[in-house]
Amino acid sequence: MISPAAEASGVTQSAGLDSKFIWTKREALKTFIGLAIVTALVYLAWILGNNPDFGSNASFSLLIGVALGILFERGRFCFFCIFRDLAEHRVAVGTISILVALATGTLGYSIVFALFLPVPNGEFLPPSAHISPVSWALVAGAFAFGLGMVLSGACIAGHLYRLGQGSLRAIPSLVGVVLGLSLGLIGWNDIYLNLIQDAPTIWLPDSLGYAGSLVLTLFVIGTLAVAAIAYSKRRDRNYEVLSNPFDLKSIAYSLLRKRWSPALVGIAIGVIGTVAYLRIEPLGVTRQFASASRTILETQGLIPDFLYGMDALAGCIGLVGQAITNNGWLILGLVLASFAAALAGGRFKIERLSFKGAVSGFAGGILLGWGALVSLGCTIGVLLSGVQAFSVSGWVFGLVVFAVVFLGIKLRLHTFA
Amino acid sequence: MLNQRTRFFRQLGKASLVFALATAVGFSGAVPAQADANPNAVVSADWLERNLTNPRVKLIEVTVEEGAYARGHIRNAVEFRWHTDFVDEVNRDIVSRSEFTKLAQQAGINRDSIVVLYGDDNNWFAAWGAWIFKLYGARDVRLLDGGRAKWESDGRAMTPIVPTPAKGNFRASAPDQKLRAFLPEVVRVAKKELRAKLVDIRSADEFSGKIFAPPGFDELAIRAGHIPTAVNVGWKSTLNADGTFKSRAELARLYRAVGIDGRTPVITYCRIGERAAHSWFVLSEILGYNVKLYDGSWTEYGNSVGVPISNPAGTVWGKK
Repeated sequence: MISPAAEASGVTQSAGLDSKFIWTKREALKTFIGLAIVTALVYLAWILGNNPDFGSNASFSLLIGVALGILFERGRFCFFCIFRDLAEHRVAVGTISILVALATGTLGYSIVFALFLPVPNGEFLPPSAHISPVSWALVAGAFAFGLGMVLSGACIAGHLYRLGQGSLRAIPSLVGVVLGLSLGLIGWNDIYLNLIQDAPTIWLPDSLGYAGSLVLTLFVIGTLAVAAIAYSKRRDRNYEVLSNPFDLKSIAYSLLRKRWSPALVGIAIGVIGTVAYLRIEPLGVTRQFASASRTILETQGLIPDFLYGMDALAGCIGLVGQAITNNGWLILGLVLASFAAALAGGRFKIERLSFKGAVSGFAGGILLGWGALVSLGCTIGVLLSGVQAFSVSGWVFGLVVFAVVFLGIKLRLHTFA
Repeated sequence: MLNQRTRFFRQLGKASLVFALATAVGFSGAVPAQADANPNAVVSADWLERNLTNPRVKLIEVTVEEGAYARGHIRNAVEFRWHTDFVDEVNRDIVSRSEFTKLAQQAGINRDSIVVLYGDDNNWFAAWGAWIFKLYGARDVRLLDGGRAKWESDGRAMTPIVPTPAKGNFRASAPDQKLRAFLPEVVRVAKKELRAKLVDIRSADEFSGKIFAPPGFDELAIRAGHIPTAVNVGWKSTLNADGTFKSRAELARLYRAVGIDGRTPVITYCRIGERAAHSWFVLSEILGYNVKLYDGSWTEYGNSVGVPISNPAGTVWGKK
């Protein structure tokens, strides 16, 4: 069993079918409740789809959130945990999961781009893809975001799925995120006019075409994968392939208890990212929070009436829309499905929250929020959806965040909690 | 069920291609009730489905919601972007003649094409496109009844595949000045030096001067109200609840009630010109009246120095 604390620390567990694993009534009940939650979410998606006020996009977003919640929880797709495994324990399996998600999504995006914009001509960018300016604001945002990850123990997506696992520290952290986003909004106009407006928006296909961009991106991802594996020392036995007997009990054990294969999770996240972009918008988890912060600040008169460029920039931040955006449904699905998966697998545990943990989570959350705002997204919206979309901004954000987390862990900043 | 229906229409479309062609061409040649009316100015979704493979029909989508066209459009529709394709990007003006020729040729438009436009927001921007096409001499320009919204709510087929049309031979002629009004002409009408009927298609509150612009828009004029002598017929009153156009008889009655019957030239305007294109289409193309679009509209007129304004609400700019 992996407790939320163990989730963060990369502690390993023994491979093979646990001899103590007995399908007790209690286990069966937990699994049943988990299944009932997922069924209820699917039913909610059906209701949303038939409601003219929400429609198929809200419905589909909720389902994407459900899939991500299960994948993040079962695959431990937490950027901070993964970077920490590499920095602290020299374990690279999680890194491979991220790189596979990037590679799969890059392939998927290429196909969608070829539909949306057959010839990249330097005049137009593919609609709503997360291709944003490469500016000092992006670097500063990534720096703050990385530091926020180290202090609070997760990125925004990580906090969301670990909330489903019972991590109480996610709560002060997410409150901090909303505050950080608000601080970012208040200072937005100056940052935009001084740092972002003149910054170049670099989209690889403009100079390399789709084929060239794909070759280059896959080459870089492959090189990083080789480097990560070469750097890694320890084998994480959590990921050993099981040679279980092919019976229902063993399969249930593999699905509910064992961590899913990193390559499988990476591929699934890459495919979901592609489908999300094709149907609605690129994956991201900050739009709903940013939109809510903006609405509150606007009604309080704390931000200017007009935020320059905000709604024209590609990313997770712009546009105040309806109270619950498509992204809001995605987040709801993510948290609840992660809870269902954790419960079914016996990993749901209300984690004790220390005062220091709450304070560091809150402070880290502020940095996460501010960083996400000035970078126009987070590890999902800018790093994942940006790199997949051939945007240089995704790489810049990813490299800065990785470097800061790596150094932060080496400096033991994460042990404050 | 949807697929079945689509397949059915596709087969029907193939089978009746000859018939459809004959109808399209035949009707255009019929003698219209008014000099310039096009009895086929509005096409139904059924007609379009039957004519999707008709080589003379060139379909153009003008939608402003980002990514909507890319994620799904009617088969063979080419996208035109209102902000860049139909207007000059630097000067406040329509797209230049040479630039428009280039764009239309890239979209596969020929001299004898039937140009069918549709889009979101009740075809406002598609109607602007129709006006530009007519202004530059396209012969047969039509709008899809109900626009994109109706097509979607009908559950008709859409595709993300972008067509790659062969280069067309359309050449824009000199802009037809009978279709476009500029400020000096409008001021002469306001001062009753020139006989024409001004139709203000904005909301009643904008017309009366209660508000300067609808909420959420920053293209403001620093005076409120309307051009003297104008009548207020909101663009919405020309549509049924499902977004399709009202019948010709109903439309004629609607405008006759405010003294517009086609005997006096008409000028339509709104705030920035695009919704007025919608009413221009109704009056000029469906009813066949002699109509100009004043694309400068209220954002030009209401900011101009020394022109007469009617402001029944008495709102004063800068004073709350």
